[in-house]
Amino acid sequence: MFDFSKQNISTHPFIMLFWKEIRRYLKVMVQTVVTPAINSGLYLLIFGVSLGSSIDTGFDTPYLAFLISGLIMMSCLNNSFQNTSSSIISGKFSGDLEDLKVVPLSSQQIIWAMCLGGVTRGVMVSSVTMLVGQVFYYFTFGEFLEIHSWPALIFFLFFGALSYAKLGMFVAFLAKTFDQMSAVTAFVLQPLAFLGGVFFSLNNLSPFWQKVALFNPVLYLISGVRYSILGQSDVSLMSSVMVAIVSLVLFHIIVVLTISRSQFKRW
Amino acid sequence: MNMEKPLKIKNLSKNYGDFSAVKDVSFDLEDGEIFGLLGPNGAGKTTLISCIVTLEKMSSGSISVLGSDVYEDSKQAKINLGYVPQEVINHGYFTVEEILGFYSGYFGILQNKEHITYLLKKLALYEHKDKKVKQLSGGMKRRLMIAKALVHKPKLLLLDEPTAGVDIELRNSLWEFVLELKASGTTVLLTTHYLEEAESLCDRIGVISKGELKKIGKTSDLISELTFRTLEVETTGKVELQNTEYLKKQEGNKLTLEFPSSLKIGEVISSTGLDLNSVADLQLKEGSLEDAFLKILNQGRM
Repeated sequence: MFDFSKQNISTHPFIMLFWKEIRRYLKVMVQTVVTPAINSGLYLLIFGVSLGSSIDTGFDTPYLAFLISGLIMMSCLNNSFQNTSSSIISGKFSGDLEDLKVVPLSSQQIIWAMCLGGVTRGVMVSSVTMLVGQVFYYFTFGEFLEIHSWPALIFFLFFGALSYAKLGMFVAFLAKTFDQMSAVTAFVLQPLAFLGGVFFSLNNLSPFWQKVALFNPVLYLISGVRYSILGQSDVSLMSSVMVAIVSLVLFHIIVVLTISRSQFKRW
Repeated sequence: MNMEKPLKIKNLSKNYGDFSAVKDVSFDLEDGEIFGLLGPNGAGKTTLISCIVTLEKMSSGSISVLGSDVYEDSKQAKINLGYVPQEVINHGYFTVEEILGFYSGYFGILQNKEHITYLLKKLALYEHKDKKVKQLSGGMKRRLMIAKALVHKPKLLLLDEPTAGVDIELRNSLWEFVLELKASGTTVLLTTHYLEEAESLCDRIGVISKGELKKIGKTSDLISELTFRTLEVETTGKVELQNTEYLKKQEGNKLTLEFPSSLKIGEVISSTGLDLNSVADLQLKEGSLEDAFLKILNQGRM
């Protein structure tokens, strides 16, 4: 099965597409990995270090720790979404999306190879964010932030990244123009992420807005990572796990339905 | 020997709403031939090829490549297919060599350096292998498209107007390469606007117009069936013909006769009653595929 010297059309095309997706973002490291890391650094500097002391989240931990856990998940979701969506959008623009239809790759293989490629970027950028966060934490408190549960952290990062990678594919396949693509990011995803509790806790909201926030699925994903790192979060661990699983299943179904009906043709 | 046809198209139709781009087209390709698909712009050539590679979903009919249905047994069909699209595909950040590497991988070949190097050299791209697509000239981009389609040594190559907008020198070298591929056993389906090329390259041609396959046959048969030859006769003095059926023009000592290519010259001359002793010079012009092509296209209108 893994004899790389022989032609194999059941596994090798999948491996190559997965590898190409990784190579694609590594080619533009500055844009895909360094920029998000700098962004995270800026958030940590402004909100974590400078404003953080005046924010009370109601958590036992310092605000900086609260923020780091939120930023890790936000960068993970954003980057996995970005990777699949920009790969497809640029493929529609340059025409190389057509290639995928002409070669012996099944729709399922295309979905999984591209999404797992997106997951690697999400996990990589969130790791960089964690690294930057740890540096800030160390210089502020003289010690590193301890991770409460590694298995839970890996679970939420992986499920979150995979769901968002699939969401990215779905949106990019549907989008007819660049504008539509950026509208989804600006009007739907960014607000959901920012209002999903990256920077504040439910305790900081009025009872009405607390209820509204509970309808935001991103809150549960971010809370999952927050629980994994801090050992506490706004919502129960079980509800975070459920949302993570349900969004993955849901987005997978949508993307499968979309791809089977979609044109791979260029704009 | 594989007894399956390289390509079998049965009752293929493709509709966009009320518009039929391809109407009930059926034909087969024979092993190792070069088949030319000719037709004016918008005739349905590209739609037909897009259906073969599944970029367009056909409305009805079936297509198989070497016996494998392009939908039911998609992977097996695609591994035997090489496709050169009409429009050049850009690849963003990747170099020529990387692109060919990825493309080999998509066909299940992870280690293909030797064949890639062969193709790069063959298509005069070797010294450009580290360039990105946007750094290549138009002709190089075209050659890259062809290299991409050949990384997995397909049995059937589909060329959708590979020479559109390409200079004569490159065009000739491309066609030479196509003939080499044919010699090595590859079956080729091409579409082109350049009729002389189709005439000199293709073993058989099909003429498609408004989505319908109007005519299909051996190139030479089609030409003799549908084209006219012209015979220019210079006589020593003024002559009167007994039969002016084939006479197209008569100016002084010059006669121009036009007759179907299927007729023998001797028959034509004797039928006119022309005395051979009065002939000073003869010049024969063969009808071209272009004439045949126009005739087929105009049949509906005549």
